[in-house]
Amino acid sequence: MSEKDVRLEEALDDLERIVEELENGKKSLEECLDLYEKGMRLVKHCHARLENAKRKIESLTGELPPGLD
Amino acid sequence: MTQIFTVTDLNERIRDRLENDPRLHDLWARGELSNYVHHRSGHRYFTLKDRDSQISCVLFRNDGVRLGFELKDGQNVIVYGDVGVYRPQGRVQLMAKGIRLDEGIGLRHLQLEALKKKLADEGLFSIEHKRSLPKYPERIGIVTSPQGAALRDVLRIIGPYPARIILSPAQVQGEGAAESIAMAVRALQGRADVVIVCRGGGSTEDLWCFNSELVARAIFECDSPVISAVGHETDFTVADFVADVRAPTPTAAAEMAVPDIEKLRSLLVQATVRMKRSLWSGLERREERLEYLKRCISAQKMYSLTEEARQRLDSLERRLCAAESERRTALESRLEQAEGRLAAVGPLATLSRGYAIVRSPRGLVLSSEDVQQGEVLELILAKGRLLVSVVENKAVEEVYH
Repeated sequence: MSEKDVRLEEALDDLERIVEELENGKKSLEECLDLYEKGMRLVKHCHARLENAKRKIESLTGELPPGLD
Repeated sequence: MTQIFTVTDLNERIRDRLENDPRLHDLWARGELSNYVHHRSGHRYFTLKDRDSQISCVLFRNDGVRLGFELKDGQNVIVYGDVGVYRPQGRVQLMAKGIRLDEGIGLRHLQLEALKKKLADEGLFSIEHKRSLPKYPERIGIVTSPQGAALRDVLRIIGPYPARIILSPAQVQGEGAAESIAMAVRALQGRADVVIVCRGGGSTEDLWCFNSELVARAIFECDSPVISAVGHETDFTVADFVADVRAPTPTAAAEMAVPDIEKLRSLLVQATVRMKRSLWSGLERREERLEYLKRCISAQKMYSLTEEARQRLDSLERRLCAAESERRTALESRLEQAEGRLAAVGPLATLSRGYAIVRSPRGLVLSSEDVQQGEVLELILAKGRLLVSVVENKAVEEVYH
């Protein structure tokens, strides 16, 4: 699964887990840096998803009234 | 020649025709009251209907004062009045002059109560069937009319949220609406994480399709959680009872379907801050530890460590010496004692009483027979030694004379 396809929910769950792991401070420095980097990537990904939320409306009958987009 | 009417003329003609027909005067009509509005002007407007048909009614203020009871939707009534035409809209209406309550409540309401009971008994309304809504839906299904204001209300709220919006168009009032809504709900099978079934406000009549068993079952069987939002806050339909969550309005339904995007943003900011802070505090903690370890192995510390070792060595040395001299003293005193005891049993004590030890080159001399006349013997005295020569050798017996 490429990073683009990650569901927002999964991304946020992962992020939460990473923050908690970082905060409990039991990891080595290398691991912490890895986690931090991964966490920041997830934050960026989520932000990007929120910013790029275009209205993606589709209709099961294929017809959309004008003025919805 | 064909006559061409103006619309006004046409309506006037219809009115004349109807209002001049004695069969349409002073009549009684029985039906269920709905869409009741008590207008500011004091006039009362409502629809009288039975299962298959309906007619608009008006009760003017002056006729209303004699009413004697409050009109309410759902009442079964008998209306007394005349048929008339409201010309501006060309609408045929019943102009009531009096209204009486009919026995019992409306048939339709009885049917509705029966349906509710049946569905409740089957468990369609029960709390254990209610599913919770997904926190972050990826696909949001909407069952409503594409033309309705409800759809725009919903889109305004969920628009900024990054999810696919799948519209399943339905006819939400009139003939065939229930079938259309049920089909639209089923069409979303497997396509949505959450489904909003909604329509804007309308008369009880308009919302009635949401009271159908078809719609109720379609919602119950939907494979994703359903939020219903039919009409206004005060309107409750069977669809609301079956849905997993009931929202008072379409806007409220949309707000329930998606997380607050501003909260989500601040959540991300918080996560960033927390990660940075814990990373920094981790680094600081390590720096402090390093600093501490550095202090531990400093030159001064090392010097004081050797100093300590030296002191220990000194102390050990002192203890060793003390122990040694103690041991010597003990040995010396033991030796002295042994000497004393030896002296007591040894020959020296005897010698000091006047005896002497006589030795020849062959050893101790105990008998005169052991020596020759003229032989040199050694006498050991208490003090000193003598070398003597044997002048005369006498027999043993003679010694004691």
